[in-house]
Amino acid sequence: MNKISTTCPWCGCGCGLYLHVENNSITGVSPSRNHPVNHGTLCVKGWNCHEFVQHPDRLTTPLIKEGAALRRATWEEALAKTAAKLSEIKNTYGPDAIGILGSAKCTNEDNFVLMKFARAVIGTNNIDHCARLCHSSTVGGLAAAFGSGAMTNSIDEIRDARVIFVIGSNTTEQHPMIGMHMLEARDRGAMIIVADPRRTQIAQFSHLHMRHRSGTDVALLNAIMNVIITEGLVDVSFIRQRTENFDDFEKGVLAYSPEVAERITSVPAEDLRKAARLYASEKRSMLFYSMGITQHITGVDNVRSCANLVMLTAHIGQPMTGLNPLRGQNNVQGACDVGALPDVFSGYQKVADPASRKKFEMAWSRPLSAVPGLTLTEMVDAIHEGKIRALYIMGENPVISDPDSAHVRAAFAKLDFLAVQDIFPTDTAEYAHVILPATTFAEKDGTYTNTERRVQKIRKAVQPVGDSRPDYDIICSIARLMGYPMDYRAAHEIMEEIAILTPSYGGILHHRLDAGFGLQWPCFGMDHPGTPYLHRKKFTRGMGAFIPVEFIPPAEPTDDEYPFLLTTGRSYFHYHTGTMCRRTITLEREEPECTVEINPADAKRLEVRRGDPVRVKTRRGSIEVKARVTTVVPEGIIFIPFHFREAAVNLLTINAVDPNAKIPEFKVCAASLEAVRKKPGTRPAPRLSYHEGMKQGLDLYIPPEERPSEE
Amino acid sequence: MNTAYILNKNHLSFWLRTLKSTHELIAPTRDVSGDIVLTELQRMHETALDGPALMPSPKEFLLPQMEQLFCYSEEGIEEALNKRPRVLFGIRPCDLSAIRILDTFYLGKTKDAYYEARRSRTVLIAIACNRPDPTCFCLGLGTGPFLKSGFDLQLTDLGDRFLVETGSETGASLVTAYPHIFTEPKPADGDDLYETRLASQSQFEKRVNLEQVRKHIQAGAVSDAFWESVAVRCFECGGCVYNCPVCTCFNVIDRAASSEAGKRVRLWDTCMFKGFTRTAGGVIPAEAKINRTKRWFHHKLIHWPEQFGAFGCVGCGRCAISCPGTIDMATVALRIKGESKAEEK
Amino acid sequence: MTTTNIYLPFKTSIANVKEVAKDVKLFSISVPADFTYQAGQFVMVSVIGAGEVPISITSTPGVSKDLELCVRTVGHVSSAINALAANDSIWLRGPYGRPFPINGQDALFICGGIGIVPLRPLINQMLHNRAATGSRKKVTVMYGSRNPAEVLFMDEAARWQEQGAHIVMTVDTCDIESWKGCTGLVTDHFAKANIDYRNSTAYICGPHVMIKATMRDLSMMGMPDDHIITTLEAHMKCGVGKCGHCYCGGKLICEEGPVFSLEEIKKYNIKPGVDDLV
Ligand SMILES: Cc1cc2nc3c(=O)[nH]c(=O)nc-3n(C[C@H](O)[C@H](O)[C@H](O)COP(=O)(O)OP(=O)(O)OC[C@H]3O[C@@H](n4cnc5c(N)ncnc54)[C@H](O)[C@@H]3O)c2cc1C
Ligand code: SF4
Ligand code: SF4
Ligand code: SF4
Ligand code: FES
Repeated sequence: MNKISTTCPWCGCGCGLYLHVENNSITGVSPSRNHPVNHGTLCVKGWNCHEFVQHPDRLTTPLIKEGAALRRATWEEALAKTAAKLSEIKNTYGPDAIGILGSAKCTNEDNFVLMKFARAVIGTNNIDHCARLCHSSTVGGLAAAFGSGAMTNSIDEIRDARVIFVIGSNTTEQHPMIGMHMLEARDRGAMIIVADPRRTQIAQFSHLHMRHRSGTDVALLNAIMNVIITEGLVDVSFIRQRTENFDDFEKGVLAYSPEVAERITSVPAEDLRKAARLYASEKRSMLFYSMGITQHITGVDNVRSCANLVMLTAHIGQPMTGLNPLRGQNNVQGACDVGALPDVFSGYQKVADPASRKKFEMAWSRPLSAVPGLTLTEMVDAIHEGKIRALYIMGENPVISDPDSAHVRAAFAKLDFLAVQDIFPTDTAEYAHVILPATTFAEKDGTYTNTERRVQKIRKAVQPVGDSRPDYDIICSIARLMGYPMDYRAAHEIMEEIAILTPSYGGILHHRLDAGFGLQWPCFGMDHPGTPYLHRKKFTRGMGAFIPVEFIPPAEPTDDEYPFLLTTGRSYFHYHTGTMCRRTITLEREEPECTVEINPADAKRLEVRRGDPVRVKTRRGSIEVKARVTTVVPEGIIFIPFHFREAAVNLLTINAVDPNAKIPEFKVCAASLEAVRKKPGTRPAPRLSYHEGMKQGLDLYIPPEERPSEE
Repeated sequence: MNTAYILNKNHLSFWLRTLKSTHELIAPTRDVSGDIVLTELQRMHETALDGPALMPSPKEFLLPQMEQLFCYSEEGIEEALNKRPRVLFGIRPCDLSAIRILDTFYLGKTKDAYYEARRSRTVLIAIACNRPDPTCFCLGLGTGPFLKSGFDLQLTDLGDRFLVETGSETGASLVTAYPHIFTEPKPADGDDLYETRLASQSQFEKRVNLEQVRKHIQAGAVSDAFWESVAVRCFECGGCVYNCPVCTCFNVIDRAASSEAGKRVRLWDTCMFKGFTRTAGGVIPAEAKINRTKRWFHHKLIHWPEQFGAFGCVGCGRCAISCPGTIDMATVALRIKGESKAEEK
Repeated sequence: MTTTNIYLPFKTSIANVKEVAKDVKLFSISVPADFTYQAGQFVMVSVIGAGEVPISITSTPGVSKDLELCVRTVGHVSSAINALAANDSIWLRGPYGRPFPINGQDALFICGGIGIVPLRPLINQMLHNRAATGSRKKVTVMYGSRNPAEVLFMDEAARWQEQGAHIVMTVDTCDIESWKGCTGLVTDHFAKANIDYRNSTAYICGPHVMIKATMRDLSMMGMPDDHIITTLEAHMKCGVGKCGHCYCGGKLICEEGPVFSLEEIKKYNIKPGVDDLV
């Protein structure tokens, strides 16, 4: 038996673990004891990450659609067809008729090669990935405020913090090992403040839980800042020396007294004051947020408000402080870093910037487009408009993960050509003309970047199943067939190219990652030790910018017809669209079916009991799920996880997006809920006494001698 | 009968190489990252006997996390027994004690053929603990840091040499075959051994009296409110059970091996999960976290002693490392003791 | 190897299948002559590639030639079983578990829904013995179902009645006019059964809530705890005391049960329901 050190493929914590291998099959997993994130622990997904790798459902050969059916094909054939179709569409409609989707599940190397493929081979900037759906507002919002859109501090600082403010993150379930560090901090005396409509596990540990209405985060944060300013808790010298535009911002915030905010958010004014005092009065205060902040039409505004808050109190640029967006997917940070985004190359170097473009043009010897491409959500609309004719999707399942699924499905059905590169047959693959089997994290080398910017290695532990090939290798083959030489013999060669072209990854090379547990970017050179916390002494953009933010209500308010506020998210046992976890027996068994969380008071009113089937309806569609009656959600709010294809909640969600980041508002839409009464017609039978029953001839089954006598 | 020998540390690699020529040699090995993992030893000098408790416990070599039981089709059934001879080198006394408990469970009344196939071909070479981890509490349980029996061989580090005790014929045969490297101990070695044991015992940071805790629980002195305060911290990760050298639960599933054949696989499972006990009627006996947490501790502290005469815990301290919510045997036991003391006052 | 492998099933074939209600099928399975069992025991049933589940034996020991199993579709494996047809092969191992204790007393059977399945062999066995020995012992069967369509073994119940059993059938809800049984919960009808509680033994199987209510009522009416017998359902993966799924109150239900008396349930504090059974 061998144990191969690698990185967990599920969430952004990026725990270190070992895969146990015997005779080319994976027999188990164990945690790394010294890893700075997990210290010998794993969450349930980590402990079970071995199971899906060699699952019988894996895609093992390329498939080509013929008529309505898919048939097996050779690699030569499938690659040739893909290259030919892409070339044809590029020649007929121009490069911008092609869209490319990268993947937050794939490695930095895979995504870098894909973005090079999009830009240098196809010639388009239409490349994006699911970060659009989770943290594009972070990337945009923080770039403006600080100049860099990543988690500012490190996970192993958490335990020494004095105040932990968590807003819109179900940390113990979605980033369990970060949750663990928070719990440890609490045990060491830290105060925990949680702002979340749901009573999550971390909220149960909090000293203060503010259950604001979903979508009112700006009002909440503005009120907190209002208190900080009016009570003189601001750090004046920091504001003066390190930031700009404070005066403008201050004027805006003064309108949001706690009483005003109470009316909007329904959080008692006194709680807002308490939160402000707690957060501002300690030096070591860390602010964490996640999709509860970002997935709104005001996602960027929410992020800006968070940035304003940390600058106001100087909780940034020091250890145990900072603004810490928790990135969901294992490599969503990395996929953004290496440029799987429509407007930037790797390291957030803008395509519109001539100097950056020149650098990449020289490296890749192709002219590159200066026009930022379409985002994920825009691509779907562009397909409907006929502007995009072909899509190349690497390791994503937008049919389940994107808002308003029906709209997405209709778009995909219209495509001239769709190539899907994945490890399992997904719902998206149903629309594909060519399906290319890729390898999992256990069958290839590469790197993932976790939420704290730690670039870590994954290592090949077993041979790929069937004919599956690493993602970057597949893309290189297509590039070559399209006449562009792309020859990397191994993943580390790609990393070398990333390092050359990307200043923040300048010193990150595989051999350095092999010793220890990775490096945190920015890491500018071979002797740079990496950066545990950002914005020390100076913000990336120079001065930190205060940006005034006004409260805007959610796109779809509740009304009489749709009285519930529907919010969506993940459950602990599952991950995203379920292609991997729902093939993992332990995870699937824990949560075999989709449920909707509903408050007991609402449930009582609607005569819904635990486990009853209910129909949840919005203006987009309706699904049937079972009710989970729980006080985790407050009255008026219902919650559905999005992992279940048979009850795809994204049939319901709205595709209203943030005007800047184009992130959809997954967290709020208006919905109705009603009990589904099976078997209408069934009437409860009348209860009859024995003798009444006798009169009606019900005595069949009682032997005459046994009948009680009529007294 | 135990016989003692002396093995000079310089000769360890030589001896390990000879063991490796006949057995799959599993030993604590230092990874490039600095972790020490129990894995097949490739280069003899990489073995690291001075590290902390290994994760997960060596039970994975007797009850693997995932193992195929058999393959079956219309044609018949083919069992998949692992018959490779193995040496587990450098495991700790607590782990060895745990394996002895597993033996009573798996090889008792009804025998588990898969466990037996592995176990009967596994040689256990323990290394006594000179330096217990801060999480260890085997001392009060008699499951470590030194054992008198149960091992094939037990090594004690005496600085530049090991004192090697034999505990079985198999063990003895691995030593007596090499009289040129295993020499007779001198009186001074005995003194050093005694000294080493004494020193080790004095280093334990935790003293946990599980017997007392058991009595408290059985006397009804531990309230549900207490268990609730423990359970609320559970992340439902399963790490406690996966890592515990005494926990044995498994799940059994079928996978299609081809369109005609199926294979039956068993994999580690844990009672910390709701679905573990869900019945076809939809009833979940241990639905609330508190019931699951309680069940784990009750099983180890009350029912194991009833059935097997020993606690379902050997004090290895792994649950303290693997639990993100610090719900571990020592912490909970100490809290129970503390609370019942507080009540008495 | 000298050890016999307790996890290996043997292959056999289905002689006959009958749909006895919606989603419920009755299988007759050929078994070797040396496959002996007692009422109350169960077998582990496998379908290639689908998995293995515990199913109670419902044929009468020593009387039925074939082994009979009655399976309701609830999930993955049970659907795979119910998709099988006559002559298909099926894999078995067992029998496992502690059978029903039998004493010379009057017997009261209380069944809820599919819970009649494990009790059926005992009813048949008792009636068979009653005929053979000419005993006057009373056999009462109270059987509750959700609605008339879900009543299993209707014809057989009529035969039991002919053989001298006292039958009380009831449904929770009734939407057909032709239903001739009672309505309401089984426990509502104790009065009619005319039972000498102190000198009878009750055998109970059904949903947890029903078991719980019935046990409580019988106990209150003076039936001694050791004469109140039930068979408990637990999640079972191995059937042989190794996997730990069925562990409850210090007992492995597969080995030490599934049959328990109320006395034992109280003694060991076995609480397999969401709320406690006793
Ligand atoms: C002693 C005993 C006797 C039984 N006798 C019968 C019988 O005669 N007829 C009959 O129809 N059913 C019987 N059952 C129930 C039967 O075992 C379950 O219906 C079956 O295991 C469900 O498996 P599945 O794969 O179809 O369901 P799954 O898809 O696995 O899940 C459906 C539901 O069944 C539960 N379940 C899964 N596996 C088991 C298991 N091994 N034990 C208990 N629940 C489980 C799941 O938690 C879930 O709630 C008996 C169970 C026991 C313990
Ligand atoms: S916390 Fe995240 S990275 Fe760590 S084991 Fe769990 S899923 Fe994997
Ligand atoms: S309960 Fe904890 S300390 Fe005891 S044996 Fe198991 S893992 Fe070790
Ligand atoms: S290790 Fe801790 S958190 Fe994980 S299941 Fe066990 S008790 Fe719960
Ligand atoms: S079913 Fe496995 S122990 Fe009881």
